[in-house]
Amino acid sequence: MNDVTDAAVDSAAPHPATRAVVLNGALSGDETLAPVENELLELLRETGTLVRDFQLRDIPLAHCQGCFECWVKTPGLCKTDGDAGREITGALIGSDLMVILTPVTFGGYSSEIKKAMDRSICLVSPLFRRVDGEVHHRKRYRRYPALAAVGVLHAPDEEQERIFRALVERNALNLDSPATSVCVLPAGASAETMRDRLTTSLEPVLGHLAGRAA
Amino acid sequence: MSARRAVLLVGSARPSGTGNSEALGAYLLARLAEGGLKAEVFHVARCQRPEKEELLLAAVDRADLFVLSTPMYVDALPYLVTRTAERIAAHRATQPEKSAVRFLAMVNCGFPEWEQTRTALDICRAFTRQAGFEWVGGLGLGGGEAIHGRPLEELGGQTRNLRRGLDLTAEALLAGRVVPEEAQAMLARPAVPSRLYTAIGSLGWLRAARRQGTLRKLGDRPLE
Repeated sequence: MNDVTDAAVDSAAPHPATRAVVLNGALSGDETLAPVENELLELLRETGTLVRDFQLRDIPLAHCQGCFECWVKTPGLCKTDGDAGREITGALIGSDLMVILTPVTFGGYSSEIKKAMDRSICLVSPLFRRVDGEVHHRKRYRRYPALAAVGVLHAPDEEQERIFRALVERNALNLDSPATSVCVLPAGASAETMRDRLTTSLEPVLGHLAGRAA
Repeated sequence: MSARRAVLLVGSARPSGTGNSEALGAYLLARLAEGGLKAEVFHVARCQRPEKEELLLAAVDRADLFVLSTPMYVDALPYLVTRTAERIAAHRATQPEKSAVRFLAMVNCGFPEWEQTRTALDICRAFTRQAGFEWVGGLGLGGGEAIHGRPLEELGGQTRNLRRGLDLTAEALLAGRVVPEEAQAMLARPAVPSRLYTAIGSLGWLRAARRQGTLRKLGDRPLE
């Protein structure tokens, strides 16, 4: 698929085994995410991370039908086949780091990201567990990727930024992510600003992954 | 000012007549209808084609009250609702003078704690601001799966507090007020204790798996 690229592998880098999946949720006609993605991929490349990059708007992907057959009829697999759903969820669960790149949309993710996220419920069990007194779904897999989210805001909006950070934390809890980072960038930010903020936000996550690999 | 025309947007992708979001919205609409309000019902799953989307956009523009009743998917609004919200906000952004529309969000989730809907409700509120609607309130419901898509009245005492909360909501909206805090307080009262709800829920999943012949495969890891 031309929407999936292996960005880089650098065997001399400190953490050569780190695998990342980038979900780009730019909507049709919105090119404001492209420079952010370029910086992001460059940054990951420099750390020797192997990247799979999904441009969601260009990929055939059906929406979740809310049927829960992925929990009881074909456990762990969405019944919808013939689109990129299984490929994306397979890449996610096989990765060390999941990166969501999205325009901040009402404080949340764009519809393109939501389409992929909704299809990921097959990665957890229908049964329940408690986390800090709150009910969540049990894990299906032994390990889950760390979660990094990069949101692009078209205009400064503290409330949307707060919601975005809260959403990522909630997702990390439900997906049992071992480490989380959030970066909110203004659309049209300079390359220097993008790089500084991406580096700062990704550092703890990449550090965690490096520590795990060591 | 009393609302005279309402639009209910059902955010579930499930077939008509089977979703919990539709059951919740239908109950509220019935109470609003008793107060003389006329309503149109749309389902997001049937509003994705341009001609259907146009009908929804036009109905929203002429409504006094816009109600979204939706499940929570992965801590937020489902894809279909998000996409529809993007379209509505883009449509409204082109209008120099936006019609006055009040907006109510109702988000239900399968976890017993209604508080898990807070982020989705915050997203609804941000959407309200961006689309130029007037926020009249957000209602979060935990344990939504207990409804099983059935009319709330048929569920008897199990939905007493829920129905009382929606009654209070309808009264407030018909009187031109915002949703009172007491309505959310009624929805927050669990029909059954949390541990019993999860035990019943787990049993339900296990039974469903047994019917499918997948009981021993429920924990499979096919993508590993």
